[in-house]
Amino acid sequence: MNRAERFLVFASPVGVFALWEALAHLGWIDVRILPPPSAVAVTMVVMFREEGLLDHTGATALRFLVGMAVGVVPGVLLGLTMGIFRWFRAFANPLVALFYPIPRIALFPLVLILVGLNETSNIIMIALGPFFTMLISAMYSVLNIDRIYRDVAENFETGPRHLYTMVTLPAAMPTLMGGLRISVGLGLLGTVAVEFLVGESGIGHVIWNSWQVLSLQRSMAGLVVSAVFGFAVYLSMDLLERYLVPWQQKSTAA
Amino acid sequence: MQPEHADRAGVDGGRSDPAGGIDILNLSKSFDGPEGEIVALAGVDLAVREGEFLSVVGPSGCGKTTMLRILAGLEKSYGGSVEFAIETGGNPLQSMVFQEQGVFPWLTVLENAAYGLTVRHVTRDRRLAQARDYLRKLGLSAFETAYPSQLSGGMRQRVNLARAFVNDPAVLLMDEPLGSLDEQTKMLVQTDLLRLWEGSNKTVIFITHSLDEAIVLGDRVAVMSNRPGRIKTILDIDLPRPRDALELRNNEHFLHLRRAVWDSLREEVVSLDGAGADLGTAAQAPPS
Repeated sequence: MNRAERFLVFASPVGVFALWEALAHLGWIDVRILPPPSAVAVTMVVMFREEGLLDHTGATALRFLVGMAVGVVPGVLLGLTMGIFRWFRAFANPLVALFYPIPRIALFPLVLILVGLNETSNIIMIALGPFFTMLISAMYSVLNIDRIYRDVAENFETGPRHLYTMVTLPAAMPTLMGGLRISVGLGLLGTVAVEFLVGESGIGHVIWNSWQVLSLQRSMAGLVVSAVFGFAVYLSMDLLERYLVPWQQKSTAA
Repeated sequence: MQPEHADRAGVDGGRSDPAGGIDILNLSKSFDGPEGEIVALAGVDLAVREGEFLSVVGPSGCGKTTMLRILAGLEKSYGGSVEFAIETGGNPLQSMVFQEQGVFPWLTVLENAAYGLTVRHVTRDRRLAQARDYLRKLGLSAFETAYPSQLSGGMRQRVNLARAFVNDPAVLLMDEPLGSLDEQTKMLVQTDLLRLWEGSNKTVIFITHSLDEAIVLGDRVAVMSNRPGRIKTILDIDLPRPRDALELRNNEHFLHLRRAVWDSLREEVVSLDGAGADLGTAAQAPPS
C-alpha cells in the first residue's frame, strides 16, 4: 500500500464522522434522531464507567467466539470429508440442500423448544450460519483442487496422512479462508440477533433495550461498540490469513 | 495394427533387447468424448532401454502425455501391457516431472524438493540434506525458504526437476517440463538437466514438442504419429556426451539430425491440419 492509499484508508471513515458532526451542528439533521458522534462518545464513556458496557461487550465476544467455534469446526470437518469421499458426499449432500435454504432465524422457535431458553440455544443459533457456510466452502475447496496436485501426490505414492496435511488441506486453505471471512459476518449477525430476541446481556441487548426506551444515544453507543468489535474481528482475519496462507502475498486495505 | 519401426539409423529399436528396460506392448487407450469414443493410443510398441534418455515428439494431441501418464500409473485402464524390467536398488521405480504448475505453491522450495522423501518417511536430516544437495546443484540454495510464487518460471521448473531427482527414482517421466519457458531460459534449464542426468544412470522418457530439445537431450528420438498415436520412427542421436545445450544447436551434425526428425514428423503435422495448399510451404521449413 502506498502513502496515498494509506491516507485514504483513514481519511474515509474520519471524513464521514466529521461530516455527520458538522451536519448535526448546522442543524441539517435532527439530533434527537441522529445524535452527533461527540454526544454518542460522551454517552459511551458514561456507559462504560457506570452501566457495565464492558461486561456486555465481553458477553457478546464470548458468545460470538463460542458460536463460531461450534459452527466452524464441525462445518470444516464435515465439508472436507464430503469433498474427499464421494460416497459421503452422495449421502450428505441432499441433507445440506434440504436444510441450508431454510431462513435460519425462522428455526429459532424450534431450537428454543428443543433445547430450552438458555445460552445453549443462543450458541446453536449463532453457529448455524458459520456451520453451513464452512461446510459448503470446505466441500468445494476440496472439489476444486487442481487435478495436477492430486496427480503429483499419487505419482509420489503419498500416504493418506501426508495427502491430507501436505496436499488437500493447504490446497483447500485459500477457499476456506474466504469462507471464514463470510462466516464471521454471519456469526456477528447471529450474535446480535439472538441478543435482540432473548439476551439479558450483550451489545445487541443494549442496542435493542435502549431503542425500546427511546434512548437513541445509548442505542448508537452500542452500535459503535459493535462496529469496533466487528472491525477488530475483521483485522484478526487478516492476521490469521497471513499465518494460515503464508504463500499468498496479498495486500488488504485495512 | 503393427507400428512401422523404420529405424533409420539402423539401430535396434525393436523389443528383443535382452538387457533391462521398459517394454511397452500394443498399448491402447480411449476416452469418452462428447461425440463418442476418442482413441488416444492405438497399438504403441516401444522398447525403452535401461539408462537411456529417450525423447518423444509428435503432433499435438497424438497421445504422448497419455502414454506417459499410463507409465506413471496415473491412468489405470488401458489395453496392452507395460513392463518395467529395471533394477531399482530399493529406490522408487519412477517419478514424473510435471509441467510447471505442478510445483506445490504452499510448500517452500526446500519442502517441495524434499516432498518425495517426506512422504516416504525418510528422516528429516537425511531428506533435507539430499534436497539441499540438489538445490545447490541447481543454483537454488539462496531460495530454500522462498515460495514458488516468488520465483521466476525457470527457477520454478528447476524446483520441479529437483523434486523428482531428490526422490531418486530409477525412471524419470518428463511431461513437457520446459514447455512454458522462454527460449533462453529453456536452454539454461536444459543445461542443468543434462548435467544432473549425465551424472546418473537413470532412464528418462522426455515428452516435448520441440525438435531441438528432443535432439539436444536425447540418446534417441521417438516420433509419434497423429492420433491415434503410434510410434512411427525411432532415430538414434549419436551426438557425443557430455553435451552442451548452448553450443550444440550450431553443430552441423545436429542440423542434419534435426532435418531427419523433421522429415518424419512433417507428414504427421501436415496431415493433422489437412486443410490444403498453404500448408505445403509452411511445412517445408522446420519450425524454429
